[in-house]
Amino acid sequence: MLRLLYALLLGLVGAGIVHIAVLLLLPMISQNDAWSRLAASSDLYKITRLDAESGVTPVVRSVDPLFDAAACRFDLSDGVLKVTANGHAPFWSVSVYNRAGENIYSFNDHTLPDGGIDFIVLTSTQLVELRKEMPEGLDKSIYVESPDEQGIVVVRGFVPDKSWEKQVVDFLGGISCAPEQQQ
Amino acid sequence: MLKTIFLVALTLAIAIGGGAASVWYVLNLQNGVGAVTIGDWTAFPDLGTPDTDPYSKARVAREGILTLGRAEGLAFVAENDSSGAELRRGCSYTVQGTVPPSRFWTIHAADEGMNVINGLKQRAPALHSYEMLREQDNSVSIAVSRTPAPGNWLAVDGTGKMFLILTLYDTTIASSTGVADVKLPRIIKVGCNA
Repeated sequence: MLRLLYALLLGLVGAGIVHIAVLLLLPMISQNDAWSRLAASSDLYKITRLDAESGVTPVVRSVDPLFDAAACRFDLSDGVLKVTANGHAPFWSVSVYNRAGENIYSFNDHTLPDGGIDFIVLTSTQLVELRKEMPEGLDKSIYVESPDEQGIVVVRGFVPDKSWEKQVVDFLGGISCAPEQQQ
Repeated sequence: MLKTIFLVALTLAIAIGGGAASVWYVLNLQNGVGAVTIGDWTAFPDLGTPDTDPYSKARVAREGILTLGRAEGLAFVAENDSSGAELRRGCSYTVQGTVPPSRFWTIHAADEGMNVINGLKQRAPALHSYEMLREQDNSVSIAVSRTPAPGNWLAVDGTGKMFLILTLYDTTIASSTGVADVKLPRIIKVGCNA
């Protein structure tokens, strides 16, 4: 009887340890996170629509049905990432996520003066390098410092009704997400 | 001998089974760690940020979600009406009250798997604040039901459990101050059509 009680107690302590271990390991081993899902459907730097287009199951669940969203994965070991887009949507917002899918930076269309998207993602080392000699054309961009080399950029555009659909789709389709060539 | 094997097996079964099941249970809770509850609504302001707790991190990794950033917006989810009863797709509800300051907001219904319920294909699956009919005191009243209703109508269909999701975009309450002090609309059950 006493041994049974001892076994039960040991089992409960073990359950606690397993609970913590599973919890902490989950983000590292998950094959289901946003990065892995995107990697399964498209290459690095390729703009991928996140919302369901005509019955296709969405790659990453885009929460709001009134929004269209597009994402691209990046790897800063290829050089700094430059993202630009021109166009107009009633509201758009941009988020930069790290490898684990955590939001490290976000801004919306009120952040930039002319309403277009123009920003650069880089590591702190690359920022120091870039500051030494500022290249042409990068001086007006927003700088997003990323702690990891890999990450995801997501652009969301608000579609108030069907008549805006084409304009927002064109806006998202016109996003350029590519590593900036370094000298 | 057999008794020892049984006890070891029992210990391992409790440890592994119990440990895994408890993580699974906690991650499926709608009202989990890091939740901020305001009236009938729940939000996770820290979900998907680097400085969040391990439970939220595990949830983000497991579900593959990309949460809205602080400059984008904040989503509130309701599971129960104001009497505490579960929201059902077969029932009619009125969402009534004022919404905190934001550039605009949207409301939609979702099923158990958090997939959008598209009640009628001819209607948009969500409503937004630019198209709202408002009361004289600037509050809104939205009918959520399977049958058409005058005023603001969010169409749902089917049966079973549902969630209501209210998302505020470009809102000041998404910043760290004062998420707990805001007032959100109440969800009042009108009746059920079983």
